[in-house]
Amino acid sequence: MTINIENEKQQDTTEIESSRRNFIFGSVAAAGLSVAPGVMLYQTANARSLSEKASSKVRWGMLVDTSKQVDWNKCVEACNKEHGLNNETHSRDDQKTQYIRVVDVTNKGTGYSMSLPVMCQHCEQAPCVDVCPTGASMTRPDGIVLVDRHRCIGCRYCMMACPYKARSFVHEVLSDQTENTPRGKGCVESCNMCVNRVDNGQDPACVEASDGAIVFGDLNDPNSAISTLLKEHGGKQIRADLKLNPGVHYQGI
Amino acid sequence: MRLQLNIDFSFNSFFNKKSLQKLPLAVAGLALIASFNTVNASQSDLGPSITIQETSGEKCVLPSEEMRRQHPDLLKHDRIKTLREGVRAKADGGVLDGSLKQCVNCHAVKDDNNKYVRIDNDQHFCVSCHQYAAVSIDCFQCHRDIPEGSGDFHALSNHKEVNYNAVVPGTYSLTVQDMANIAPEVHSDDN
Amino acid sequence: MKKLHFLEVEGNTKGFYTFLGLFGLISVIGMLAAYYMEHNGHWVTGMSNQIIWGTPHVFAIFLIVAASGALNVASISSVFAKTAYKPLARLSGMLALALLSGGLVVLLLDLGRPDRLIVAMTKFNFVSIFTWNIFLYTGFMGIVGIYLWTMMDRPYNNLTKKAGMAAFIWRLVLTTGTGSIFGFLIAREAYDSALLAPMFIIMSFSFGLAFFLLVLMGSYKYTDRELGDYIVNRLKNLLGVFVAAVFYFVIVYHIANLYSADHRGITTFILADGGIYTFLFWVVQIVLGSLLPLGLLYGPTGNNRTMIGLASVLVIIGGMAQLYVIIIGGQAYPMHLFPGMEVSSSFYDGVVASYSPSLPEVLLGLGGFGVTLLLVTVAVAALKFLPASLADAVADPHSK
Ligand code: SF4
Repeated sequence: MTINIENEKQQDTTEIESSRRNFIFGSVAAAGLSVAPGVMLYQTANARSLSEKASSKVRWGMLVDTSKQVDWNKCVEACNKEHGLNNETHSRDDQKTQYIRVVDVTNKGTGYSMSLPVMCQHCEQAPCVDVCPTGASMTRPDGIVLVDRHRCIGCRYCMMACPYKARSFVHEVLSDQTENTPRGKGCVESCNMCVNRVDNGQDPACVEASDGAIVFGDLNDPNSAISTLLKEHGGKQIRADLKLNPGVHYQGI
Repeated sequence: MRLQLNIDFSFNSFFNKKSLQKLPLAVAGLALIASFNTVNASQSDLGPSITIQETSGEKCVLPSEEMRRQHPDLLKHDRIKTLREGVRAKADGGVLDGSLKQCVNCHAVKDDNNKYVRIDNDQHFCVSCHQYAAVSIDCFQCHRDIPEGSGDFHALSNHKEVNYNAVVPGTYSLTVQDMANIAPEVHSDDN
Repeated sequence: MKKLHFLEVEGNTKGFYTFLGLFGLISVIGMLAAYYMEHNGHWVTGMSNQIIWGTPHVFAIFLIVAASGALNVASISSVFAKTAYKPLARLSGMLALALLSGGLVVLLLDLGRPDRLIVAMTKFNFVSIFTWNIFLYTGFMGIVGIYLWTMMDRPYNNLTKKAGMAAFIWRLVLTTGTGSIFGFLIAREAYDSALLAPMFIIMSFSFGLAFFLLVLMGSYKYTDRELGDYIVNRLKNLLGVFVAAVFYFVIVYHIANLYSADHRGITTFILADGGIYTFLFWVVQIVLGSLLPLGLLYGPTGNNRTMIGLASVLVIIGGMAQLYVIIIGGQAYPMHLFPGMEVSSSFYDGVVASYSPSLPEVLLGLGGFGVTLLLVTVAVAALKFLPASLADAVADPHSK
């Protein structure tokens, strides 16, 4: 049953689809559970049932292969679409939200240059979580770093603390947000690893748009695709010297 | 300038204690909410009428009377569960009681052109009551105020407009007109 | 030494209402500016996702740092038992509270969601140095309040020394806490230095005393009370020492950073090629804010009240410039995602961020000063903070 839902989600979401989806999510998913209790079929191995808490047995992570020749801007677009970003009307360019950006890196000595997507790195020892006075900036047990906007007072200390410049502040009144990504004036926000999709057993939007250049999965599961790849080919974390143990790993940097 | 959260705060904690009846009639807004309790006692033509959009087909998570009192707690409880803990469904797989998304999906109101009305419109389900009760909410500063898509078709809602006449509860020696005078008009953009 | 006599400032005078009106107006304008920023959102300010903390934070942190420094005079009198400072202890404590309030108002009104103050007061993350600061600030208010009480209520005078000691320790911790707000930002070169917190303490001495001197001289001038040279000279000499100490510390700080490979980039940025930040550093902070006041205080003009006042104003301006360079310059300098590499992106990686303060930000910051001075004005009229006379005959313990 759940797979049905996913198929629907991947279709071009017309209005009818969208409302049907809600309907199905509301009632049919329940039927799916009662027919086969505990046997929810998800794409990823360690997915839990939606009624369970996120568990620290799982640590979600991403592996970005920068050597693959993909247009990383497609990931940026997918992210903007998924979360309804880029809808500011007043903000200057340096005030607009970006969850993910393409960074061009050049080695001045050798002239070698490359591009890579940088988003929230979902650190294990996240500085933004440490510094947040209210606990709005938080790590979910499964390693996803989120801002609880109900608690965020907009002090921006987390933005000061983030070594990756991953966070943005909403500088104006927003409207017409997407259903799954509430966001509004005066709060800080950042990549949430598409937590709504992940909970539904889907890959994050950027992963889906990356033509396989980004692999998403459970770092704690030695048999997951991401762990296998990391074991075979290794990976690097940006600013690993800071010892924050980010959940996002890179190859080819 | 920014008092609405305080109002919101006291509003909820009063509800928690379920001691509404014992409260002195200090806050006009609270008195008005209390009046919902007896909103069906048939005294028509007494005061301003408030339009409540009814949904049919599916029933809400609690009877209306309880919903009126408890929806803030439901929402607050489940927002913690969902956002901080990752719980997105009830044990039986059903949608959480306090899912604001589901509230909006069921209770969205359409205008004459068959378009969903937004949060800046008095007809919006949440606005219609909250404006009347003079309790401002900031949910929709971040949350989407209507279902996704243009909403030409919506599975759960089949709206019937029901006109209730707000009625003065006997225990309070105020007329509806009095209350209407006390209760300030709140517009959603004051949020 | 004549007997010390404290007296409220006469409230029902034209002069009093003029000051009340003036400071009230500045405060109100500040509040309106904050409302404008909140109503529209921060896009109306110069702040951005690159310059995250802007002018309001410069003002707020200045006031908070100065607050703990303003308490120094009281500490010297009760902790270090220097009787010469005793007549000034009450003003010193009260000024500390007023400065802290002004600073906190600014900090609060710049929040993205100031309406959620209740959240900040009920939900705490004890790992956060910010949370600790909330307690340090409220604790400071409480302790200094008690300290003032022991000074002003005769039966409790014997507790003054203890309360003064507590307040003194607390203020050192408080300034360390304020400095640590920056010290914990590991990824930002500008702040990642153990010297920052002690530097904040020295800065607080100097800023707080400069503000104290101005308030003292101002209030005695406009209430026609006598303020003898004995007190003023002691204070201005002390200010000179503090200014020199800050100057010395700044030199050590930058030299130390120049020798550390991790900090060389930001240091050369500030000292040599930071544009406005370099200008603010050399011209405003060093020349106007340190060297010139030292000259004014210790040179031939050292006995001229106007020049002492000017020196204090310059110290404050220099201090603001110093914080501007630290706070905003430190953010403008790019963070290194890939040390040693050249980076660029749509999110301003690898470039010096631009920032120009907007009017509402400045007005909000000035509003903080307005609130402080408004509180001082009301306080000196309401309670016995100021000695009726500080003429040498009263103030100098050695005079007959
Ligand atoms: S801006 Fe919000 S999330 Fe960030 S530290 Fe402040 S309260 Fe926490």
